[in-house]
Amino acid sequence: MAANYWASTQRRHWLFSREKLAEIRESFRERDKVAHTQFPLPDQRLLNIYFSQQLIKLGKRMSTRQQALATAQVYVKRFYTKNEIRHTNPYLVVTTAFYLACKMEECPQHIRFVVGEARGLWPEFIAPDVSKLGECEFSLISEMSSQLIVHHPYRTLSELQPELSLTSDEVALAWSVINDHYLTDLPLLYPPHVIAVMAIIVAVVFKPSQTSFHGSAAPLASAMRDGGMNILAALGDKNGNGPPPRIQRLITWLAESEVDIKAVIECTQELVSLYEVWEQYSEKHCKELLGRMVKSKNLDK
Amino acid sequence: MAVSPSGPHVSSIAILSPTTTNGLGKSTITESFDKRKKSVLSPQPTQPADREITEQLNDNVKQKYIKEKKLGEGTYAVVFLGHLRTDPSSFVAIKKIKVNAEYKDGLSMDAIREVKYLQELSHPNIIALHDVFSSKDQNLNLVLEYLPRGDLEMLIRDTHIHYGAADVKSWMGMLARGVWFCHENFVLHRDIKPNNLLIAADGEVKLADFGLARSFADPYLNMTHQVITRWYRPPELLFGARQYSGAVDVWSMGMVFAELLLRVPFVAGNSDLDQISKICEAFGTPTEENWPGVTRLPNYIPADATHIALLQGREFFLRQFPTAGPVGADLLMSMCTLDPQKRNTAFGVLKHGWWSTEPKPTQKQDLPRKSGGTKKMGHDLTRRGGELEETPFKNATRQLDFNTARDY
Repeated sequence: MAANYWASTQRRHWLFSREKLAEIRESFRERDKVAHTQFPLPDQRLLNIYFSQQLIKLGKRMSTRQQALATAQVYVKRFYTKNEIRHTNPYLVVTTAFYLACKMEECPQHIRFVVGEARGLWPEFIAPDVSKLGECEFSLISEMSSQLIVHHPYRTLSELQPELSLTSDEVALAWSVINDHYLTDLPLLYPPHVIAVMAIIVAVVFKPSQTSFHGSAAPLASAMRDGGMNILAALGDKNGNGPPPRIQRLITWLAESEVDIKAVIECTQELVSLYEVWEQYSEKHCKELLGRMVKSKNLDK
Repeated sequence: MAVSPSGPHVSSIAILSPTTTNGLGKSTITESFDKRKKSVLSPQPTQPADREITEQLNDNVKQKYIKEKKLGEGTYAVVFLGHLRTDPSSFVAIKKIKVNAEYKDGLSMDAIREVKYLQELSHPNIIALHDVFSSKDQNLNLVLEYLPRGDLEMLIRDTHIHYGAADVKSWMGMLARGVWFCHENFVLHRDIKPNNLLIAADGEVKLADFGLARSFADPYLNMTHQVITRWYRPPELLFGARQYSGAVDVWSMGMVFAELLLRVPFVAGNSDLDQISKICEAFGTPTEENWPGVTRLPNYIPADATHIALLQGREFFLRQFPTAGPVGADLLMSMCTLDPQKRNTAFGVLKHGWWSTEPKPTQKQDLPRKSGGTKKMGHDLTRRGGELEETPFKNATRQLDFNTARDY
């Protein structure tokens, strides 16, 4: 973490409204209708799942910190608010975002090593020439107006742990919810503390079972639905004892805090939708569509 | 010297300023940048409407700055004097970071760090970054605040310039505020020294050169100890500590304070080992008693039992730095404490009683000044960070600084 979020370029220049994002994406469509009909791509979130899984593979090979992976995912998102994905080689963009994020998060990797590992993963899409990555880095920095510091929700989570006496299971769960939010547009829509609070609520209130969290997300949406119902029932039950004390404590804390509750609810909704969409995810499908696009447009050259 | 006429020269410039990221859908990029983009991105189908907007935006921003002449050139960067097209009297310094033409190794950490932090830190005592743009030769250009009055080193070295305790207090106050602001924002500067303290036209001191800066590390994560130019490097870094805090910058500040008072660097070792022994001579030998844990630092060298110098007390600082007065000597002593845990913090420095004792700090516009600072700025901004001056030529570079300063 560096600098102050409230005065940061992230808050001033990289926070969008939903409408604005939709408008930007629609303008890409308008500009190049041919490419859009010729190369249909899966839902943005499914693509994000694909990119993030590729990034994790790349990061694992070089044992990178989670924070650098998170920053890289935000870079990719920022880049694609300025550029139509169909005009780029997404594999190169993802690799470059990773390379730059490692430098930014103080765990730099040598450019040759990064290119080598990326080629190991996607030999058809990454050229052996390291200068391509250097060039793309330059363009990435320029497109982001050299505004490179990204504030993440992880720190807020650690800070709130003692405050809300979260158990280590809950923290782990909230942590993975934060990991998952990078698959949505949320990092471009809400400040990190709102995301962190959302993750804590999901972990404490909805308590999707830990086992279903990793691997397939299929049963997750319904688990959250059930969890939510129980809580609502408890809240609504005037004759009963109300919600369990831990949840009561969280509710009191939220009520006293000045966190934008409406935003937290919207974030939660976004996450629920993500888990619902996740059920349709097919890595093979994403890979095929992207591969076809990159190859037939010669984007890898 | 590359003195260029206004018009054609600037056509290669596009501004990627904070103000242009307002969601116009497409960032402002140069034609030349577009050409490059094609190799990264795909050949784009022509989109007349879109291109017109982009070009028009480009034209607008291209007009923003005019490069005038080269101020200095180093291995790492070239600095130009420039000004706003709309106002020829509003000068800027344009620092062009040399990128390897072949993009062999990507952008250097120095360049990344500088851009990263200056984009976020805005304070009267920190050099301002107005804009960043890419030029046709695909270099990163930083448009920095123009600081024509040279740096503190120039003033310290120039024997024709006389200054007193009130002036030192004024300079130190500005330095301390800049450093406090960095620390408050979780940034370590890691290269504080007189020639990184540039002076604005109105006399304000500005902390420059963030090529070695970094955010505070998360607990237990290691950082490098190869930072801060040797004469300003604290003992914990000389002993190879990998986990450290803002205390490293406070030590450097203390060394600058001492140098302002003495007008020569206070502890100037010619090697890292020599630096340690000079520090021991000056302030006392670090021991487990005065600095618990020191012996466990990776590069700790046990002191020769016959040469253990006792920790210097208050009298030493009073005797050594009479100009600062007793309260000033106390402040300096608190900044030069060997044990980083007991050393003062930037915040503590600002709260010290010295600032409110007589004499009052000089108003910045009344501070001693010196001409010839423009060229000095060019020189200062092209230098690499302290870490990289660790070459056999390190002192030679300093000598050079010296000589150029005297030429004025």
